[in-house]
Amino acid sequence: MLKKAVLTLVTLAVMCGSAWAEKTIIFATDATWPPMEFVDAHKNIVGYSIDFLTAAGKEVGFKPVFKNTAWDGIFAGLAAGKYDSITSSVSITEERQKKMDFSEPYFVVQQALIVQKDSKAMGLADLKGKKVGGQIGTTGYFAIKAAEGVEPKSYDEIGLAMEDLNVGRIAAVVCDDPVAANYALIKYKDTLKIASVIKSDKPEYYGFPVQKGNKEILDLINKGIEAVKAKGIDQELKKKWIGQ
Amino acid sequence: MAECDVKKIDVGDGAALPDPEDKGLVSAWWIALIGTIGLLIALPVKDPDTYGRVLTFIPDGILVTFEVTILSIALALVIGLLTGLGRLSKNRYINLIASLYVEVVRGVPLLVQLFYIYFALGRFVRVPDIMAAVIALSFCYGAYMGEVFRAGIKSIDFGQSEAALSQGFNQAQTMRYVILPQAWRTILPPVGNEFIALLKDTSLVSILAVSDILRRGREYASESFNYFETYTIIALVYLLITLVLSKILSNMEQRLSHYEKR
Repeated sequence: MLKKAVLTLVTLAVMCGSAWAEKTIIFATDATWPPMEFVDAHKNIVGYSIDFLTAAGKEVGFKPVFKNTAWDGIFAGLAAGKYDSITSSVSITEERQKKMDFSEPYFVVQQALIVQKDSKAMGLADLKGKKVGGQIGTTGYFAIKAAEGVEPKSYDEIGLAMEDLNVGRIAAVVCDDPVAANYALIKYKDTLKIASVIKSDKPEYYGFPVQKGNKEILDLINKGIEAVKAKGIDQELKKKWIGQ
Repeated sequence: MAECDVKKIDVGDGAALPDPEDKGLVSAWWIALIGTIGLLIALPVKDPDTYGRVLTFIPDGILVTFEVTILSIALALVIGLLTGLGRLSKNRYINLIASLYVEVVRGVPLLVQLFYIYFALGRFVRVPDIMAAVIALSFCYGAYMGEVFRAGIKSIDFGQSEAALSQGFNQAQTMRYVILPQAWRTILPPVGNEFIALLKDTSLVSILAVSDILRRGREYASESFNYFETYTIIALVYLLITLVLSKILSNMEQRLSHYEKR
């Protein structure tokens, strides 16, 4: 009985809420991916995609709420309906498109190879028989697995892979180029460097995935992306977070 | 108060304990074992594209899990024995060191110890991943085993060592030939439990990017998005291993306790 009453109240509250307030969209994010999404010194989730969505929400009228979620299992949470979408530098891949719907692309990305400063390796082909690390379930890790002869090693967070590379337990790390730049040029600028960008036949884009068939949220996000691009806000954000 | 209907309870009144000798009894162990094996065969046959692929993806992970478990247990037994003896030592300093070790290790979660040895100490000593896992696990379990050893040794009546000493055995010989062979019977059941607990705790080392069963499963799930199928198989594989292990250990216990049978 009590359960029913509470449920009714909650439903009412939600309905009333959406009646006059703008639509809230909950985004899951694995905030360990600087500068795209990470936790700052004040424990706030910040970054390029956070600013991007906040701006998009302002343009078309939705309120993004960010929920820090571990990467491994982030798609399972979306499928289970724990949140509406994901903003976690999710590259649009064919495999992923089979399981969820993606927004329009909002960022172009390449895979970068990071090595120790004194390493002579220029590409994955020079790393045969060596351990190369990446974050589990990322396109960077898939690139390592696809390369012949290297021993792939999967980490829960890219920061742990970078630390392992820093102390020399692995020979290289592969991840998205903005993240690579953040680690190799700022955090570990004395020990690490970007060796190269891994060439790919198809360009790689970030998108915001939603549950298959969730057209309402998808349309709203797409409208937001369009508005942000039309106003050139994305260029400003690139300058602010990536510096190019 | 004391006189108003006190009911006498006979030992025979309670629920009948299953007689271990009764072969006709269907035990929970058999049900679990047959169920696990049945599912591990039936699921991949029914759905080779999902369950089947998980099963073919993880075998090298099973080897790593075994490797970590066996190395850790061997090292933990040595550390445990030394700690147990140290805790019983009459030498103040040895006693203090052993006790301090137990206090410190028991107070820090295993996951934190793993991170500490791998990432914190990793800045100074470049420990390979499996070695870091083995060190952390044996360091942690060594402390628990130390307590088990201490209790086991203390359970042997003091008269035994007195008798041995009066026969001209020295301290070490008394321990080696009189106390430990008897204490072993008390020690084995809890050590067996620690063994199984350790095997299960090796799943924590996947956080160090060690490719054990769990890590392999997660890699597969992150590519295929078949979370349900993957973790079902992973749970069943762990269950199968611990079921077999617990049977081996209980058989060993029975053999060692043959003196107590009447």
